[in-house]
Amino acid sequence: MNDRQILTRDLLVLFSLTGWGLSLPYFGSDFMVSMGLTCLMYIALSSSWGLFCGNTRYLSLATSAFFGIGAYTCALQLEQLGWAATIALGAGVAAAVAVVMGAAVLHLRGTYFAVLTFGMTELIRHAVTYYEKSVTGTVGRVLTVVPERDTIYLTVLCLAVITVGLSMWVRRTRLGLALVGIGADEQRAQTLGVDTRWVKLLGFAMTAAVAGAVGAAMSVRWTYIDPHTVFNPFIGFQTVLIALIGGAMTLWGPLIAAVVFSLLAETLRLQAPQVYMMSLGLLLILCVLYLPAGLASLRWDTWKIWRDDIRAWWKERRREWTGEKERDKRRAREQRLV
Amino acid sequence: MSEPKHHHAPVAKPVLLEAREVTVRFGGLVAVDAVSAAFRAGELVGIIGPNGAGKTTFFNAISGVTEPTHGRLMAAGRDLTGAKPHRLAARGLARTFQTPRVFSDMSVLANIEFGLKFAGRRRRKWIFWGDEVGVPWALRDAAGILKLVGLDAHAGLRAGDITPSQQRLLEIGMALSTRPKVLLLDEVAAGLTEAEVVEMARLIRRLRDELDLTVVWIEHAVKILVRHVERVIVLHQGRKIADGPPQVVIRDPEVIEAYLGDEMSEEARP
Repeated sequence: MNDRQILTRDLLVLFSLTGWGLSLPYFGSDFMVSMGLTCLMYIALSSSWGLFCGNTRYLSLATSAFFGIGAYTCALQLEQLGWAATIALGAGVAAAVAVVMGAAVLHLRGTYFAVLTFGMTELIRHAVTYYEKSVTGTVGRVLTVVPERDTIYLTVLCLAVITVGLSMWVRRTRLGLALVGIGADEQRAQTLGVDTRWVKLLGFAMTAAVAGAVGAAMSVRWTYIDPHTVFNPFIGFQTVLIALIGGAMTLWGPLIAAVVFSLLAETLRLQAPQVYMMSLGLLLILCVLYLPAGLASLRWDTWKIWRDDIRAWWKERRREWTGEKERDKRRAREQRLV
Repeated sequence: MSEPKHHHAPVAKPVLLEAREVTVRFGGLVAVDAVSAAFRAGELVGIIGPNGAGKTTFFNAISGVTEPTHGRLMAAGRDLTGAKPHRLAARGLARTFQTPRVFSDMSVLANIEFGLKFAGRRRRKWIFWGDEVGVPWALRDAAGILKLVGLDAHAGLRAGDITPSQQRLLEIGMALSTRPKVLLLDEVAAGLTEAEVVEMARLIRRLRDELDLTVVWIEHAVKILVRHVERVIVLHQGRKIADGPPQVVIRDPEVIEAYLGDEMSEEARP
C-alpha cells in the first residue's frame, strides 16, 4: 500500500468509528454510554501520549497532572465561561504548564525523565490540596451547573476524534518525522538539523493540551471533584499501560487497547476487582514479552509464528521425556570416541 | 590570538571553519588542550593521533555536540561558539559518527530523506559561506545522494539490515543530505577491508573534487590517511603537535615520538 492508500484507509476507519460512536447514545443504555465515555477518554489520552512519548521514547507519567489541571480549570471557570471555552481554557492551561515543566525536565532521558514527571505530578497534586485546605478552606469542588449527559459524551467523542486525527496528521508532517528521529537517536537527529528542544516542547505541550481538554470535559461527570480524584496517578499509569499494550508508536494501537481495556474494566471491575488488575498486569507482561510493538502489530503471521514456536517447543519436550534426546547424545559421544 | 600557520596553499582560499584555542575539559581531564586549526575552502585535511589523543572530542567541540570549555569557533568569519548542532548543520557543517548512527528502523532512502527535510531543506544555495553557488547536482535529491555513495541498489532495505560497511557509506550519505559545505568524517575507514578502504578514499576525494566540499577526515591508522590528504594535523594528548603536508609531518621527530610503540610510524612512510 502506498502512502495515499494508507491515508484513505485510516480516514475511512476513523470515519466509520466516529459513526458508531455518534450513534451509541441513541440505542445504548446508560451503562453503555458511560462505558463508551471511559473508552473515549482513554483513546484520547493514550493516543496523544503515544504521539509524543511513544515516538520520542520519553516516558512521561505526567498525564494525570494535565488531566487534573484541566478538571480544576473547568470546576473554577465553568459558571463564568461557556462549555466550549472552558474546555479550550483547560487545554491551554495544561499546555502552558507542560511548557514550563518540559523546559525543566526535557533535557533528561529515560528513568530520570519518568521519575521527574511523576514527582512533578505529585507536587502539583499536593500543592492543590494544600491550597484547598489552607487558603480556601475546602476539600473539593462541587459542580453545580452540569451539562447534559449527551453533551459530555459528544464532547469527549469529538476530542477523541480530534486526537486521532491530529496523530494521523502529525505523523505525515516534518514534526512527526522529527519526533521519530528523536526517538531513534536524538543526537543524530540534531546533527541532521532538527531543533530538538523546540520539537520536544511542542510535542509535550500537544500531549498536555489533549489531556487538559479531556480532564475539563470529564470533570463534570463526577459533579464533585477533589485533588485525589482528578490528580489520581492511576489515570496516568493506565494511559501509559494502554499505549504500551496497544503499541505506542502506532496510530491505531492505543485505540485498540483502550477498547480492550474498557471492556475488561467494566466487565471485571464490578464482579472481581482483583481479577481486573491481575489481568491488566498479565496482559502487559505478555505484550512486553511476545508483542513488543503492541497489539497493533498483531497479524495473521504472528499467530502462525507462535503456533510453530509452540509446536517446536512441544516436540523438543517430547523428545526429552521419551529419552530420545539422551540416546542421541550418547550416540554422538560414542561416535566421537571411536 | 595568533593565526594558525599554513605550510601549503600557494593560493589562499577563504577560511571556512576555524577553531581558536579550543579546550575541552571533563572534570580534571583535559581532553583537548588549546587546539587551533583553520580549514580553507576545498581543502582535504586529515587529523591523526594515537588512541585517546582527543581527535573525536575535538570533532565534537567543532560540530556543537560538546560545548568547548574555552576557545572560539568561527565559521566564515562568524562566531558560532556554543551553537547547537542543528544550527551548525543549517549553516552547512555536517559530520559522521565513529560508529555509524543510522536510523535502523527506517529504510536507507528514508535515512537520506531525513536530512534533506531538515538541515538540507532550504539550502538550495550556499549563501552563508560567502560564495553564492548552487548546490551540486549530485545532492539535488535522495536518489542522487544514494547514487553518489553507491547505495542506490539498497534504497528500499531497512538501514539496520545492511552490512556495517554499507552503514558507513549511509552515514556519509546522511551527512551529505544536509547539503553541507564542510564535512567532518570520524574514522570512516575503521574496520573496512583493503578494497573497501580504497573505495572509501576514492569517494572522499570525489566529494572534494567534484562537489567542492571541505573535508576534514580523522583516522587512527596513519597509513591510510597520509596517502590521500594534502595536509595533516597531528593531535597528541589533547595538543596539536604538527600541522602540514604529510611528507613533512611523518618525519617530524615529535610525531614519531608520539607514535612510538604504536605500530604505525614505520608503516606510515610512503
